[in-house]
Amino acid sequence: MSSRPLLAARGVTRRFGDHVALQRTDLDVRPGEALALVGPNGAGKSTLLAILAGALEPSEGTVERADGVRSGWMPQRPAHYGRLSPRQNLELFAGLERAGDPAELLARLELPTDDRSSASLSVGNRQRLDLAISLLSDPHVLLLDEPTAALDPRQRRRLWETARGVRDAGGAVVLVTQNLEDLEHVADRVAALLEGNVVFDGAVAEYRTSEAAGALS
Amino acid sequence: MKAPWLILRKDLLVLRRSPALLAVLIAYPLVIALLIGLTAAYANAKPRVAFVDLDGIPHRLTVAGQSFDIDNLIDDVAKNVEIVRMSKEQADRQLASGRVAAVVTVPQGFVADLRGLVSSPHLTLATGSGGITPRVRQQMQALVYNLNLRLQKAFIEADIKYVDLLRHGGKGRVLGHDFSIIGLDGTKRLLATMPDSPQKRKIDEFVDDARLALALTGNAIRATASPIVLDEEKGRGRTSLLSAQVQAYGLAITITFLGLLLAGGALAAERDENAIGRLVRGLVGLGQLVVAKVALAVTVALCLGLAILVGFGIAVQAGNVEGGEPWQRIPLVLIGVLLAGAAVGAVGALVGTLARESRTASLVGVLVVLPVVFLGLVPKEIVPAAAWISDAFPFVHAVRFFASALYDSSPWKTIARETAWLVGLAAVYGGLARLSVRRLAV
Repeated sequence: MSSRPLLAARGVTRRFGDHVALQRTDLDVRPGEALALVGPNGAGKSTLLAILAGALEPSEGTVERADGVRSGWMPQRPAHYGRLSPRQNLELFAGLERAGDPAELLARLELPTDDRSSASLSVGNRQRLDLAISLLSDPHVLLLDEPTAALDPRQRRRLWETARGVRDAGGAVVLVTQNLEDLEHVADRVAALLEGNVVFDGAVAEYRTSEAAGALS
Repeated sequence: MKAPWLILRKDLLVLRRSPALLAVLIAYPLVIALLIGLTAAYANAKPRVAFVDLDGIPHRLTVAGQSFDIDNLIDDVAKNVEIVRMSKEQADRQLASGRVAAVVTVPQGFVADLRGLVSSPHLTLATGSGGITPRVRQQMQALVYNLNLRLQKAFIEADIKYVDLLRHGGKGRVLGHDFSIIGLDGTKRLLATMPDSPQKRKIDEFVDDARLALALTGNAIRATASPIVLDEEKGRGRTSLLSAQVQAYGLAITITFLGLLLAGGALAAERDENAIGRLVRGLVGLGQLVVAKVALAVTVALCLGLAILVGFGIAVQAGNVEGGEPWQRIPLVLIGVLLAGAAVGAVGALVGTLARESRTASLVGVLVVLPVVFLGLVPKEIVPAAAWISDAFPFVHAVRFFASALYDSSPWKTIARETAWLVGLAAVYGGLARLSVRRLAV
């Protein structure tokens, strides 16, 4: 495993008006690891993930990206066009990502291929569509925000397989989760956040016995 | 520039998949244009004027030997007002409540003065204040002028009859007295029977001169009564419904509504759909996003503008309207549509970035569009401030561009000026939208 991080947050802070969502934070995402961001609601996990994804600018600090690193981001809320069908959404984002034909992804993730609008799909299907969009660029780093929250057990297993595939190929996975199963099946490192501060950063096994886990449970 | 094109194509696809929304977006501005047209037509409707007859004018009145049907006469000359007969009390009450715009009163003694011709009979006009009062006053002056013209003709014809009596002799009636005269012709015949003498020859010469002079009197009286005559040629102008101005306003209103609502709504919708986060991750620049929304406004404006121009042209051709449709000018108008669409789209993009939500953007769009359109309709001569404010928005410049491009014989000066305005406004509002669009990504 290379020690050079694929993504690195350096002194990243994020404020929304007077509210500080994320205190000054340093975090490395290295190749071959799956990092779980855990913590209670409002701890700053999704904010940190969005900043790592480049979807949100930090108020202070920077995010360093290794040369040529591609990342895929799946936010917690659906982030696609509700009036377009899943195929049309994938074709649009494939065009923007300069990716190839998305038909294979459409089939692999078992997304509806008819002309129904994406807004009419179930929450789980919309979540899978977002996952498909995040995979379009064949990313080195996969950033997932509560990815299994609305998935059935079978789809959950498929998602874990996908995440492990990215990690095992020398990439990295960062996932925000409240689900202990995600830790068990995907993560090998945990960063716990509380009120915008990283209060724990270590291996999953260490986390289970840490004070942070007890405080957050 | 592939990214803005993909976003534009996506927005057009979203529109195509939202037929109800598209129908409303197209129908709404057309309905507004129609309502404005009807309002303008109403502004030209006949004002209601009360007619109070305190003298009891008979239905048929004989003046200067000519008989007038009073009701027909009033209907005939009151082309621009609706005359309603009523009592003085009713008229006063309706004037006070604004149900009539003015009251014309025929005072007692009017008919006697008219018949006597000793002094001019008077009518009294009472009006409200402000609003259409100046127009009603003008129309009533026109009505009195028309009545005077009819009476004048009657008096002239009566005078000419007296002249004819003097020339040819016969029976007549003046101020209730009947008379019979031999006239100049009879005098000439009588002189012919008399013996020649210097006195007879002088009388004979006078009779010849008088006959010659009086023969020209009729036309001379008519000419001096109406030194200038206005001849009206019917049906030479284009009906107002199909006028250049209506076409220009219809186009400009439609483009303003559509461009502003579409660009603003579509930009704010990127945030509503939570897609903006994906786009700003290096897929689409914020400036490119503004360009895509302006391009959306331009594309829709061009499609709808062309449809309106063709539809209008077909109506003009089918109706065989004077002047026809200037088909060869349509490419020039479409350049104006493109510029206006860009300027309006830039305003819409700014609204979208400030509103941040598509529903708010649509509401703000409507709230902005209506005053902008109505300000553009206020004549500069009446409220100069309205014209200055209106200059800061694309609507009025689009109207001037379209009207000039369609029908001015040499439109280039106006087109150059309005092009500069539209390009400038597009740049200013587009720049502001670019500065403000960061708000969507937060």
